[in-house]
Amino acid sequence: MSYVIGIDVGGTFTDAVAARDDGTMISTKTPSTPPDYAEGVVTVLEDLAGRIGTDLHGLLSETSYIAHGTTSTLNALVIGDVGRVGWLTTVGHRDSISIMNVVGRYAGQGPEQVQDILATRKPAPLVPKRRAKEVIERIDYKGSVIVPLDEDHARQAIRELLAEDVEAIAVSTLWSFRNPAHERRLRELVHEQAPGMYVTLSSELSPRIREFSRNATTIMSTQVGPTLSRYLEPLTDRLRGHGLRGPLLVMQGTGGTLAAQEAPKTAITTVGSVLSGGVTGATRLAEQLGHRNVICTDVGGTTFLVGLVVDGAPLQTTTTVINQHIIDVPMLKVQAIGSGGGAIAHLDAGGNLRVGPRSAQAVPGPACYDQGGTEPTVTDADLVLGILNPDNFLGGRKKLSLERARAAIKEHVADPLGLDVEAAAAAVFAVQNAQTSDLVRKVVVESGEDPRDFVMYAFGGAGPVHCFAYGAELGVQSTVVPLGPSAAAFSAYGLAASNVGVVKEVSEPGTFPVPALAVTKTFEDLEAEARTALERQGVDLVDIGLRREVDVRYTMQLAELPTPVPSGTLTDADLADVIANFETRYARTFGEGTGFSAAGFQFITYRVHATGVLPSTVTLPDADPADGAPVEAALTGTRRALLDPRRGFEDTPVYDYRRLRPGHRFTGPAIVEVPTTTVAVSHQDTAEIDRFGNLVLTHTTEEA
Amino acid sequence: MTHPVPGSEIFNSRPVDPDVLRAGVPSSLRLHTVGQDAVDNLDPLTYEVIRHRLWSVTDEMGETLKRMSGSVVVTEANDFDFALCDEVGQEVQIGLYNTFLAASLDLAVYWTLQNRAENPGIEEGDMFLCNDPWVGGGLHQNDATVYAPFFFEGQLFGWSSAVAHQLDVGGVAPGSWTPRAQDVFWESLPTPPIKVVRNNVLQRDVAEMWTRRSRTPMLLSLDLRAKVGANITAQTRLRRLLETYGADTVKAVMKRIMDDAEQRLRAKLRELPDGTWHAQGYQEHSGQGDRGLYKIVLAMTKTGDTLTFDFRGTADQTGMINCPYSGVRAGIMSALLPVLAGDIPWAGGGLMRCFDIIADEGTMINASFPAAVGKGPVGPAWAAGNLVNECLAKMLDARPASRKSVQSVCGGTFDMVALAGVDQRQYPFVSLVMDTMADGYGAGVDRDGVDTGGMFVIPMGRAPDAEMTEFTSPVLLLWRREETDSGGPGTQRGGVSGSVCIVPHDTPAPLGGVFSGSGKATTMNAGLAGGYPGNTQLDMVLRGADAWNLLAAGRVPRSLEEVGGTRDIMGGEVETGIGLGDAIFVHWQSGGGYGDPLRRDPAAVAEDVIEAKVSAQAAADVYGVVLTADGEVDAAATEARREAARAERRSAAGITGAAASAASTVEGAELDANQVLDGATVRCRHCGTGLGTFGEAYLAALPRVETAPSGAGPHVWADPSTYVDEPVVFRQVLCPGCATALLSQVVPADHPLPADTFAGQHSHAH
Repeated sequence: MSYVIGIDVGGTFTDAVAARDDGTMISTKTPSTPPDYAEGVVTVLEDLAGRIGTDLHGLLSETSYIAHGTTSTLNALVIGDVGRVGWLTTVGHRDSISIMNVVGRYAGQGPEQVQDILATRKPAPLVPKRRAKEVIERIDYKGSVIVPLDEDHARQAIRELLAEDVEAIAVSTLWSFRNPAHERRLRELVHEQAPGMYVTLSSELSPRIREFSRNATTIMSTQVGPTLSRYLEPLTDRLRGHGLRGPLLVMQGTGGTLAAQEAPKTAITTVGSVLSGGVTGATRLAEQLGHRNVICTDVGGTTFLVGLVVDGAPLQTTTTVINQHIIDVPMLKVQAIGSGGGAIAHLDAGGNLRVGPRSAQAVPGPACYDQGGTEPTVTDADLVLGILNPDNFLGGRKKLSLERARAAIKEHVADPLGLDVEAAAAAVFAVQNAQTSDLVRKVVVESGEDPRDFVMYAFGGAGPVHCFAYGAELGVQSTVVPLGPSAAAFSAYGLAASNVGVVKEVSEPGTFPVPALAVTKTFEDLEAEARTALERQGVDLVDIGLRREVDVRYTMQLAELPTPVPSGTLTDADLADVIANFETRYARTFGEGTGFSAAGFQFITYRVHATGVLPSTVTLPDADPADGAPVEAALTGTRRALLDPRRGFEDTPVYDYRRLRPGHRFTGPAIVEVPTTTVAVSHQDTAEIDRFGNLVLTHTTEEA
Repeated sequence: MTHPVPGSEIFNSRPVDPDVLRAGVPSSLRLHTVGQDAVDNLDPLTYEVIRHRLWSVTDEMGETLKRMSGSVVVTEANDFDFALCDEVGQEVQIGLYNTFLAASLDLAVYWTLQNRAENPGIEEGDMFLCNDPWVGGGLHQNDATVYAPFFFEGQLFGWSSAVAHQLDVGGVAPGSWTPRAQDVFWESLPTPPIKVVRNNVLQRDVAEMWTRRSRTPMLLSLDLRAKVGANITAQTRLRRLLETYGADTVKAVMKRIMDDAEQRLRAKLRELPDGTWHAQGYQEHSGQGDRGLYKIVLAMTKTGDTLTFDFRGTADQTGMINCPYSGVRAGIMSALLPVLAGDIPWAGGGLMRCFDIIADEGTMINASFPAAVGKGPVGPAWAAGNLVNECLAKMLDARPASRKSVQSVCGGTFDMVALAGVDQRQYPFVSLVMDTMADGYGAGVDRDGVDTGGMFVIPMGRAPDAEMTEFTSPVLLLWRREETDSGGPGTQRGGVSGSVCIVPHDTPAPLGGVFSGSGKATTMNAGLAGGYPGNTQLDMVLRGADAWNLLAAGRVPRSLEEVGGTRDIMGGEVETGIGLGDAIFVHWQSGGGYGDPLRRDPAAVAEDVIEAKVSAQAAADVYGVVLTADGEVDAAATEARREAARAERRSAAGITGAAASAASTVEGAELDANQVLDGATVRCRHCGTGLGTFGEAYLAALPRVETAPSGAGPHVWADPSTYVDEPVVFRQVLCPGCATALLSQVVPADHPLPADTFAGQHSHAH
């Protein structure tokens, strides 16, 4: 017997899944334990072991590997709990991190925040000027040395940094990705004075053109690297002490993992760690269900995340925004579009009903949680409308106060609008659904896709309550609520099902035509680097997959599109095919006839995605088979509920998910109570349980 | 001075009463509208669902335009915008991009309803193209707009518009404007609305008439299609929305969105004092070789819930520094949107009902055809916006509840520097130095201005990385940095601006350069409440610089002294050559300060010195803060230094009475950081000294100091005669008791004294 374990550490809950090599799966959920998240990790493992009928040592000694998604990196950056870092850069260009290309004043902000211009601010520079030192050196766009590194001057700058008591040093100089000699020498000079000091070179971490984001990426990685080490090292030791022999792997934003001892060196790649589990899980589920295009909506109490699977592969991005800084990290594209169930309903200064973007957060939470929240949230409206069951929320683990929900809606929405509480709740519900469909649509359309070509997956505690409505309005064919054995921990399942992955890239901006020989050489170098990086993980791999791409753009344009490149030795004809492929992709993403080929083409950044395939394949097991009981056996009764404001309250059948079996079908209106969530089914939907235990909604409504 | 062209006046579009517009269209053109009852009967749910979906439609339209455009001005600088309008052209929603443009899109629709409905007609499947700034749809000829009537069930339901700055639309110079222009015929030909799409088909003859004029016809053609695409996107989604909810309901929502914005702005205005506020600014040169100074004059009056912007007294149109009516309206909107409407939906149609404009025809800010107007948006329109910002801020400062929205003027103009030549790949290139997007923001009552925060008119501006500049142009950036001391000094400091120093690199031929921008002898980035203005703009070519010799010797120049060469200082409007051994220094504008810098928290000054926002020298000279060798505040020396500075002011202003203590804070209704109301008397908030009688223009009678401009600090150009013949002074109006600065300006010596008058907290009627 052997296990693969996925552990997803979120802000509120730590979820875990154990997949056994006989195809069965066990999942569980325990509270997270900030600030020492390791405590929760051990607890959830003990809980898993208990469910399997063994102890922690028994489980870990039979575990092939653990894949771990961690908030550690992102959390540290968001709350500013980062290491004291020094930064070395090219003379004359230190202010890059305060100028922030101007975009730092608004990057990552929603339209309402951008519009309130007087309230927009830049964040504090990543490093104050006393810890940002210029060194005398200059390299130009070709990689030619214009001014050699002044080593005496650099030694002095390093001395000053060390006097500032820095624990790590980031090195990022202009055009270092074209010629890393000065950065490498600077590391040697740091180690002359401070042997063993944690040093990150931009030319190794993120050798990509555009110094502001490269500087920010390098500095942020340096700020969290030591922090991540301090988390992972003792955790590894502890798990080893409990018998773990296989590796502890850490999830990155790409959906691929790294070994715990290697991850801190490139810490910034773990920043999307907790976001990618859900999309990775959805991608695996989509393979099993035969879906090529999927909109993944992960709706929790405080966040609403959207990711896309297009043509079987999760959509990737090459940059992201953290604390208003542009960060150059390849990762799965997961966008936060709203505040989930905690979105607050309120009246704006004009007396108009609005929902979100402000959230009640985990504390105080919705009014109905009775934890001190007094503002009405979407969850409060769901309760008033009878969709949520106050006595059976999250399998009865949380009691909800209908009274508090009603009071909050009455005071803040119903009375000021002159509505009764039910009508006000219905308005909040309808506004939230319409708004969600607008925002999800924006994500899909801006990726150059049409929602009608997609199936939607809805997971997280709050997604299944509303997915029938926003799914139908989006015009998707059907909506799948992933349930079954992984229901409690879909993201953790995604982690368990993932492989080891590294991405290697380098900018060598050039105008097409670029010599095929040079391109081949660049890719071969990147592939060699990627293989070395995989080997360094010290993990047994059954196969290595390499995928090449190059970021292409029309000369003068901002938008660069990653475009696949064939493997092996490249010819001019291959590169012409790459350009043709780029043009096709461009037209698909930005619209037919929008390409401007007369401007010419430029290759900017070359990239290799390397996947190290792990020996165990984790798939979703079948649900318990049908036992011959009719679907009516799962009916627990009816209650008055409102799912469609045009129909009002009606007697709505309520099903207990635990008694539903594959093949069971019913039509809405209906409510399905699942121990981890509640699924609403409209009168225009048909619901069916598939063989994995998922609830599949088929919509007959038209998109709006 | 150009002479009016008879017959050109029919192209002057002005806001029209919607009922007059409706009555004027032929009966064959059926306009869809709904009555007030439909608006009143909307339920909150329907309103919010449709409002959000309309936002999503408008947003998707802009996204389409941005993605399809091939123009870096669109994709990098966000110099574009879009709108959804009702059947008579009132703007329901506008984009968050170039906020200037919102003030012109409706004008084009009004004009079209008045002048195109009979012949050639306004039909389903039509789209109009326009780049005539007198008609609207943009502020200068580079702003080309495509807008389309939207028909539903045979009725004209509304309009969609998309506008973007085009790099070149013809004229004698690349970029379509030139410092040499005498009139509009030197620039691109303005094209009044023409049907570029008929019956849903792009008309090839019309499209080519448009693209033929350009040095970059393919780019122009691509962007034309981008705008057509944006309109199609809007109309496709709008149609689906109307099919779902019905035309009447959607229209009622559109009307209510505008009414809501109007009512919220009016409610805000009612809380503010009635009165009249004044501001005056300058354009320094009217073209190459000129040394003139041309004034723009504003008196802003607020009565009840209405604003009037009166620009009478502004200089006559001259040279190439003019804008038509659309420009002055845009200037107003560029300040009004962020200052008064940051938290109100940007429904231009509703907001623009709340103000009137008085501007004489034939002046710089309401120029008559055929004045040159190519520079309009970044010249007089921008300058008008600065004045509106200043007046609005002074009004907001007089009420505690609105003081959080007070902000001094941001960078006073766009420092436009264009370079042309042969690039490192031996191709011709033209590029703008876009680093100048990183203006400083003005300071607020409770906050410093955002350093290198960007421009007020383009909320989402962007400055390029040095690496992208060096990859795309044959140059090396010796530095690209924030400029110490550039931010307007104040109790709250204006955001600093920056500079770049550029040398040609890897090019076989000298470069051509165009430098355009005012604010070099006088400041355009005013401070408030005694806060100093931000820096004067400074552009120069360092002829025969030592830079390359230094680089070859292993050193990188870090200052103008090290760059060396002969300093050729660029005036307001200059075309010049740049040799391979020359260097270019470009230093754009910061934001103004708020409050007297002698009252800034010394610890904040010390932090500014550590962070290189302020030099130790300026800390002592301008802020009166003395630091110890290790950068700590020397409290005793600071107090002494500040006392000496105040004594110096007193003596220079001829104040003979005993100095009042400025240590405590006097209670009373605050009129700004320094003034409180005590019955009918205005007193200094710091020492209690009476300043004058409330409701009168008392500031003009208070003691004042006028020194050379350098008195304002190292950030202001010391010798105005470099640029203009008129004398320029640093003027301060002081409290006669404690010598706190109540007003600080860098202005021509004949600049009018302050004359603002306004009513008290409860005296406003209505």
